[in-house]
Amino acid sequence: MKKTIQIPLGSQHISLLEPIRFKFECENEKIIGVDADVGFVHRGVELACTRSFEFKQVGYVVARVCGLCAITHSLSYTLAVEKLLGYEANDRIKYLRMLMVELDRIHSHMLCLAHTAENAGFEALFMQIMADRELVMDLQEAISGNRVQFDFIAIGGVNRDLTPELTSLIHKNLTLLSEKIDTLIGLFDNNWSLSLKYKGVGVLSLEDAYTYNALGPLARATGLATDVRVETSDFPYEAIGYKMVLESTGDIYARNFVRLREIVNSIAMCKNIADNLPSGEILEKTKGKPKGEAVVRVEAPRGELFYLVRGNGGNMLERVRIKTPTFSGIPAMMEVFKGSEYADAPAILASFDPCMSCTAK
Amino acid sequence: MKFFTAFRKKSPWILHYNAGSCNGCDIEILAALGPKFDLERFGVINTGNPKQSDIFLVTGPVTYRSRERLVELYSQIPEPKVVIAVGSCTATGGVFRGMYNVEDGIDQYIPVDVYVPGCASTPQLIIDAIVKALEILETKSKEIEKPFKLFGAIAMVGNKLSRLNMATRVKHDEI
Repeated sequence: MKKTIQIPLGSQHISLLEPIRFKFECENEKIIGVDADVGFVHRGVELACTRSFEFKQVGYVVARVCGLCAITHSLSYTLAVEKLLGYEANDRIKYLRMLMVELDRIHSHMLCLAHTAENAGFEALFMQIMADRELVMDLQEAISGNRVQFDFIAIGGVNRDLTPELTSLIHKNLTLLSEKIDTLIGLFDNNWSLSLKYKGVGVLSLEDAYTYNALGPLARATGLATDVRVETSDFPYEAIGYKMVLESTGDIYARNFVRLREIVNSIAMCKNIADNLPSGEILEKTKGKPKGEAVVRVEAPRGELFYLVRGNGGNMLERVRIKTPTFSGIPAMMEVFKGSEYADAPAILASFDPCMSCTAK
Repeated sequence: MKFFTAFRKKSPWILHYNAGSCNGCDIEILAALGPKFDLERFGVINTGNPKQSDIFLVTGPVTYRSRERLVELYSQIPEPKVVIAVGSCTATGGVFRGMYNVEDGIDQYIPVDVYVPGCASTPQLIIDAIVKALEILETKSKEIEKPFKLFGAIAMVGNKLSRLNMATRVKHDEI
């Protein structure tokens, strides 16, 4: 007699935004084997960057790899091209770029928290977090003109400037948001029914995080101190009050807490930036065509984003290679699924915050 | 029949499928269902089941692997149904037009009733599209309730009786 049964999840599923298919091999209620299929949204962006778009346009094309961390994609590409052109941005540009990246991180983390709450069966909390998230979306719309997919970063600077009215709006909205985050922290910490769903579920140990190369909030929840923001010196993160957030247990609860505390840290950083914005030009002219090879790492909301750009001095690039956080996180994800209950699968999956559009490109 | 039509008008349920988009439009659909824009006050619920849905929200240019799933989902939604293409890449391919794994818009595969512009389209536009879709849904359900003849009129094709037309369903006054 056959002892295990196979249960599929996806590719179209109500609890998942994006098409991904998992094949779970289950023994009674326990998952003992996982098979993931991520190629449903492959569009061929990498090849199009070298064949049909010039290097000045590619920054706006790679933003369409992912809607949640679009700004990080265009930022990494722009940094790589600026390295090839030998251009160093001034402090005002750096600060404005950091501001938008941190705002993007806040809204991405909040969406993930909302999703985790929904997949644990807490619909009201999902609605509450989505309502709080609109404060950040309003800020993004006011600063850049679009709610998601703001084409804010250009080669040689940024496309829009920060006015004094916007600075006061940033302070107003972020102060409101930080109060709401405090109540959320209390809720995620003390709610009894949420603790049943989160505490001790989907545990990734520190050794496994090392072995399977976990990154981002997934690694930081296990106590593995990895963050590209401190490892590279492209941006002055220490100057605006960056603090590494670490938890030790490695379950869904810890992952949620890493996200919540990172939001608190990001809010403080955004306020610092709005207060201490240096003066200078926001868009400078760059000369020349990219020649040579550059590698850039930037911390996306989900972990390390890696870009390799190679040019030969022409308008077209030779190679654009994108390695996204979720792609590196999949082995660790598979490891977590083994041994947990099938009923917890959607909540565990949401707590990783997987981004299939990034992965399949 | 009138009973069900009233419900369909008051609470259209949506099915959301990502056919290769960048998640930008998907999170805007979520935001539209959320508390600020609150599509749910119109009775709109995001179902995961095509058999309970009236409105099919599709995002993304159709990728090579998702086209089969797209047509499958479309055919499982019962009549009357409305298809909304959310975002510019769903309408024409947008920035992804001409990439090797992309099929340049969903109207290559399924008929589309409402196109929503924007990259990414805002929740306001999505709400407008669903209000427009409700009108189309009403006319479509009225069309379905009209009586129809099982056999068409006798038609001659090349001095011969055409059996083809007699067996198909009669559309309006074509024959």
